Amino acid sequence: MVTIIDRTLTNLKTNEINSQDLNHFCDLLFNCGVTKIELTSALVSQLKSPTLAGDANMLNHPGNFFLVQAVDPEHQKIWRLEPNELLEKSLPIDNFSSFHNQKIRLIGLDDLMTQDYPSFFSNLLNSGADTFDLCPGNHNYCATAIALEWLIAGGTSVSCQFASNHDFAPLEEVLMALKLHDSTLFSGDLSVLNELRCLYEKISNDRIAQNKAIIGTDIFKVESGIHVDGVLKNPQTYEPFNPQMVGNQREIVVGKHSGRQSILYKLKEQNLSETATRNLLKQIKGRCTQLGRNLSDWELRTLASEVQNDYKQKICC
Amino acid sequence: MTINKKYVVDTTLRDGEQSPGIAFTIAEKVTIAQTLDALGVSRIEAGTPAMGRDECRAFEKIKLACQQAQIIGWNRMNLSDIQQSINCGADIIHVCVPASDLLIREKLRKTKIQVLETLVACSDVIQAAQKELTIGLEDASRADWDFVTQLIETARDLGATTLRFSDTVGIMSPLLCKSAIIRIPTDIDIEVHMHNDLGMAVANSIQGLRSGAKYADSTLFGIGERAGNCNLEHLLIATQGKMDFGINLEELQWRQALLKPLIFKDDRLYA
Repeated sequence: MVTIIDRTLTNLKTNEINSQDLNHFCDLLFNCGVTKIELTSALVSQLKSPTLAGDANMLNHPGNFFLVQAVDPEHQKIWRLEPNELLEKSLPIDNFSSFHNQKIRLIGLDDLMTQDYPSFFSNLLNSGADTFDLCPGNHNYCATAIALEWLIAGGTSVSCQFASNHDFAPLEEVLMALKLHDSTLFSGDLSVLNELRCLYEKISNDRIAQNKAIIGTDIFKVESGIHVDGVLKNPQTYEPFNPQMVGNQREIVVGKHSGRQSILYKLKEQNLSETATRNLLKQIKGRCTQLGRNLSDWELRTLASEVQNDYKQKICC
Repeated sequence: MTINKKYVVDTTLRDGEQSPGIAFTIAEKVTIAQTLDALGVSRIEAGTPAMGRDECRAFEKIKLACQQAQIIGWNRMNLSDIQQSINCGADIIHVCVPASDLLIREKLRKTKIQVLETLVACSDVIQAAQKELTIGLEDASRADWDFVTQLIETARDLGATTLRFSDTVGIMSPLLCKSAIIRIPTDIDIEVHMHNDLGMAVANSIQGLRSGAKYADSTLFGIGERAGNCNLEHLLIATQGKMDFGINLEELQWRQALLKPLIFKDDRLYA
């Protein structure tokens, strides 16, 4: 098992977060596989844990804290605090010799993917440091990959941030990548990610893109005829993982790229007649091109009704 | 420092447009293609002519509007689809070949031998039309390597100029990508097509290019099925000073900003 540190709450404007949401957010993070949560001292006082270890001086410390999940003998979760004992470093590559028996967090390294990163990891792992926590920056959009490769190479700790765009590796991506590539390194229930996304949007007042990897609401919507055909035969054809695994669900939608199978599926799903399917498909493609999007179920019902009525009239004539 | 010359195959108008919530008119497709052409994108995958008359019209207009880029028609392994692409005047006829056992068995309901036979038949039509053939190995990242090897050899024997290695469901890691690409013989150009389901499309594309691929597929704003494709802007940012795609990053950023309202009619898609 590896250590996953979440830094979301130290990188958000959390002035208005209420205690209930804070505690719920922390609970969900632990449930999905985070082992340590980094908090500002201002937030520590809002934690409702009955067993906060750590004395008053520690709580007044201006720095950050790790919230550590442990399990008591009766298997109930308890929380305790420990000071942030990792020293943050933004290191030039090749300079690790002075870190014997230290706990170091490496930050940055955004451009590592364009370099010989396996050798870099090897040097780190042989440097003699007690702990190297890797916190790759995401300005080059490679932080998830760097974090995954570090853990697979033998690293024991990474720091991430939920739904991160630029700062650090997105937590949800790192967890899923670990689950799919080496599930022995991690245990967690990713089905809470949907709930975590909703809560994150509430407390951050930030909106997550609908196509965001792992947690986007639309990532399991299927429109193109080829993909719908495959998914209806076997969802694994075009799904990297089951939607339920992240608390989401699959949805077939109709749009410009729909094929006959999609239309038949949707008509059946909506208990609509399958007459005039070919004409309906043509109308859907035209309407979606005009609108620049796919149709809602309501719009599909209306269009199907129009097309089918028109079809019947023509037959009568 | 040596800067590697690499090339982009833009699939905004094909894979990108397949995103639920995104659809372009003919005029919008032409505008996007002209922008990509002006930016210096070497190959533009303009669509799937088999989709129908409007797609064919868009395709023909794109072909006329673009000065530099080669225009690719995307096709299923189907003679009728391919004929449509040829009729539309595509420079390159791309044939998508399901490569994994899962797709061959569950989607195609065919055998591997039938796949190879159909590919040969498709190639004959393309050669007769004197068009450039490129072959895409769909779901190559989950395929049995022996069959991938067979497909690569067949592609080369059929005169395909480029082999597209597709991580169709976006599950590769950079090291896996590297280990796959370096196994492909060097007598055919390699193109990597990476999806972003685990957030690693840019990293995987970089490793594919570092391991010998000549082309990387990308889309504007990274649009595409599910979590999208490799984002062109992000790829350029991540490889600045290391790889040269013949595309100016600042020019891409301002031209892309102009296209944003046209691509995202519903801005909730892009946060």
